[in-house]
Amino acid sequence: MMDRTDHPDFEAKVAFLKFATAALFVLFGVRLFYLQVMQGATYRTLAENNYTRTIVMRSPRGIITDRNGRLLCRNRISFSLVLDTAKEGSLEKTIAAMNRILGLSMTEAEVKAALRRSPVPSLAVLARDVPPDWLQKVETHPDELKMLRVETELRRDYPSGPLASHAVGYVGLLSEEEAAALQVRDPDPFIEVGKAGVEKTANAVLMGENGRRTAQVNALGREVEDPRLRLPGVGVQKEPVPGKAVRLNLDLELQRILTEALGEESGAAVFMNPSTGEILAWVSLPGFDPNLFSHTVSARDWQALAEDPRHPLLNRPIQGSYPAGSTFKPFVALVGLEEGILTPGTTFYCPGGWDFGGHTFHCWAKGGHGGVDLLTAIQNSCNVFFYRAGDRVGIDRLAKWGALFGLGSRTGVDLPGEGSGILPSPAWKLSRNMGPWYPGETLPVSIGQGYLTVTPLQLLSFYATIATGGKRYQPRILSGEPRLLSSVEVSPSTLEVIREGLERVVSGGTGKACHIPGLTVCAKTGTAQVVEASAGKDTKLLDKAIRDHAWFAGFAPRENPQVAFVVLVEHGGHGGDLGAKIARAGLEYLFFGKKPGEAEEPSAGPAPLEARGRAPSPSEG
Amino acid sequence: MRETLERFFLGDRVTTAVVVLLVVFGTLMVRSATFGTRYAALGERQLLYAGIALAVFALASLIPYSIWFEYGYLLYAGSLAALLAVLVAGRTIAGSRSWLYLGPIGFQPSELAKAAAALACATVIRDLPDKGLEGRQVALLWALIALPMTLTLLQPDFGTSTTFLPIAAAVLYFARFPLARLLKWGGLFLVGILLLFALGWFTFLKPYQKDRILTFLDPAHDPRGAGYQVAQARIAVGSGELWGKGLYSGTQNRMNFLPAPHTDFIFGVVGEETGFMGSVAVLGAFLVLLGRFLSTLRLARDPEGRFLVLAVFALLLYHLLVNVGMVLGLLPTTGIPLPFLSYGGSFLISTSFLVGLAGNVRSRRYLS
Repeated sequence: MMDRTDHPDFEAKVAFLKFATAALFVLFGVRLFYLQVMQGATYRTLAENNYTRTIVMRSPRGIITDRNGRLLCRNRISFSLVLDTAKEGSLEKTIAAMNRILGLSMTEAEVKAALRRSPVPSLAVLARDVPPDWLQKVETHPDELKMLRVETELRRDYPSGPLASHAVGYVGLLSEEEAAALQVRDPDPFIEVGKAGVEKTANAVLMGENGRRTAQVNALGREVEDPRLRLPGVGVQKEPVPGKAVRLNLDLELQRILTEALGEESGAAVFMNPSTGEILAWVSLPGFDPNLFSHTVSARDWQALAEDPRHPLLNRPIQGSYPAGSTFKPFVALVGLEEGILTPGTTFYCPGGWDFGGHTFHCWAKGGHGGVDLLTAIQNSCNVFFYRAGDRVGIDRLAKWGALFGLGSRTGVDLPGEGSGILPSPAWKLSRNMGPWYPGETLPVSIGQGYLTVTPLQLLSFYATIATGGKRYQPRILSGEPRLLSSVEVSPSTLEVIREGLERVVSGGTGKACHIPGLTVCAKTGTAQVVEASAGKDTKLLDKAIRDHAWFAGFAPRENPQVAFVVLVEHGGHGGDLGAKIARAGLEYLFFGKKPGEAEEPSAGPAPLEARGRAPSPSEG
Repeated sequence: MRETLERFFLGDRVTTAVVVLLVVFGTLMVRSATFGTRYAALGERQLLYAGIALAVFALASLIPYSIWFEYGYLLYAGSLAALLAVLVAGRTIAGSRSWLYLGPIGFQPSELAKAAAALACATVIRDLPDKGLEGRQVALLWALIALPMTLTLLQPDFGTSTTFLPIAAAVLYFARFPLARLLKWGGLFLVGILLLFALGWFTFLKPYQKDRILTFLDPAHDPRGAGYQVAQARIAVGSGELWGKGLYSGTQNRMNFLPAPHTDFIFGVVGEETGFMGSVAVLGAFLVLLGRFLSTLRLARDPEGRFLVLAVFALLLYHLLVNVGMVLGLLPTTGIPLPFLSYGGSFLISTSFLVGLAGNVRSRRYLS
């Protein structure tokens, strides 16, 4: 019989087992002590990081209205498909399941590109404006689509579409660079920032500030509701501050009338209150639909817009740069009068051209204008008079006064991407390494050609300054206090001469098409030569692409001007008719409440704009 | 008189007390681990299993254990039949065909076979002329053990099949070999295992098994897969700190970060919700049980009883070593449950039966 006494080493074996068991439990105890007591706080933090997630409380962007409160931009609810790579799972399998379940056809490369674009490296917006039932589809496949979720967001909606698109602008998802520049650190891939127009310039006001709350989530990323698991620190950290509404100076109705008047043409029309700088209309054609950008612009759509030969994305009033053409002539006259070189009685003979330095400079009227004094020269836009006047005034004086009127520099309008045009001078030419200034180069500048280029807004600003008698206001799309840029000292007599000339242009000169009974409109036509070849030719016979641009710029009424305007029709031919007719449509609406197509009402003369409630606010001066 | 009372109502009082405590605590832990999840019903079911297990425990503690040896071979044959049946008609759960259903009642024949194998070995020892084990008898018993172990491996259930090894080890330890020789063999065996492992790496180990080993050696190896479980289990235990987060309040457990919290990683729930104090108390309870078995080795009145206690000791120690070692990040991940605490009826009942028997051996030490 085996007994524990006859069993070899029985006691030793039992002792060994005791020792081994004790050793194992000591090991476990030490390990537990290390994990729970010594490292406990560290693991507690790790556990908390596991289940707390910072959730961004999005602040809605402010709405945008015109001066009468009509909506230009609002928000709408939209659903977006978001990929969260912080969740466990295989990207490859998720994409396959997503394509199968949601009927998409995304490649891994596209998904990775979306991840790279995102300001939050682990999150990517794969599709926006997805059907609401995707929410359910994603929820019902928690295993396969663990890395996906459908989120609600507020998207921009522009009810008037392309109308005023260049003024309002559009938004897009925050890029990494913008996140750094705007100091946005929210872990949210849905932050939209203005990329153009007022959306961009007023971005800080419109955007508001996102709030933050800490949420408790389980391993699937779902929020935990059980109050027993509620921990300190969970809850709202910061309430969101909603973006503020922004009111523009634009009059949507005027905007619409001018846009329709321009029709299929490419061009620009800007109306402004000269004594406040309030911009009443900002038309740039062709326009684009900003709602397109509110959906993530597909590469194809973007390319189509960017490569359109008519450049719909170009904000023509500030980004287009054109020769001023004859609209520059009143400026030359003003400089001559102020410098005492010209008088209202100064008369030159126009035989249809002027020989200068072995070259004949033509007038647009082949037969010539005969003897013309200053007023007639403005009225009929005689080139020869201004060649000779400009020659006498000289480039230096033109450059000095041009700078005073803000030519060659930005107006400071509250829209992004403004260009500055070119105000040529000998110094400018030298700085560009183009050699010394030749007197013959002053001649084309005197009729608004040559090296001179302006943006439509610069030209408008000049005419507005004539209207105010020298006060230059910053042109402003956003409503707010007027801001005086500078006051140009111009003698009242000079101003009277220029105004008289401009009135004659409309009452009996090249701008007759803008003659409105009961309103004294002061304006000037202009033709900006696109190519040298067109000089002196009947532009109607030329190809549209090389036809001259047509200008029409001025203000009204002559006494107490309430609106200044500029109209540019690209390749519109001689400016007399088309530009003047467009301006007339706007003026008739502003002063008589007349909308195109409506039957003409008998009017009791120019009613004060204020009475109609859509007027620019009167200046304080 | 006292002995009689003990025999009929309590078995071995210490064993009974510890088992009752562990079963009650385990049921609580399973409920916490399944509360509010789609496994919530399992918490209820474990309550039923606990009741059955305690009844089985009482039975094993009170009926004179010698009676079981009368049916030792029959039970063994029955368990083999069940293992064969499961291979033919078993239900596949989580990739292994390890469940046999008799109507609505399902059980794992491998758990039954474990108890039956231990009992069969003890019966053989009882029937040996000199009741001692030499090399030849060891080989015979090992064959007895290898048979159900192989059938379990065929399911395939690698984890459960390894739980036959502690019974085999008990046989060897029980044989008349000096300790020094056993230790030498043990050392050689470990070296052999390492060599086999090296060989297996290039031949039969499945990718998920390699993954688990790699993850154990380097938890950062695959943080989303196997490493995720190991890391989350460690966070669960560590974040319990001294006193724990309280029952039902473990965030790792309740918010699904802890893998398999009601089965293999139940000790993670213990660590998280009851802290260092609770974990040490649970381990302490097991230590009391193991110590009780070790002292019974000296007290048992017959060799077959002594072997039975040794086998139960070995089984319990093996489960503790592998399971707690895994949760604490000391050993690679294997699917070995924690006795009395992990969810599962078959395992709870077979463990209760075996521990009851071991207690029985002690309580009958003076009777002849």
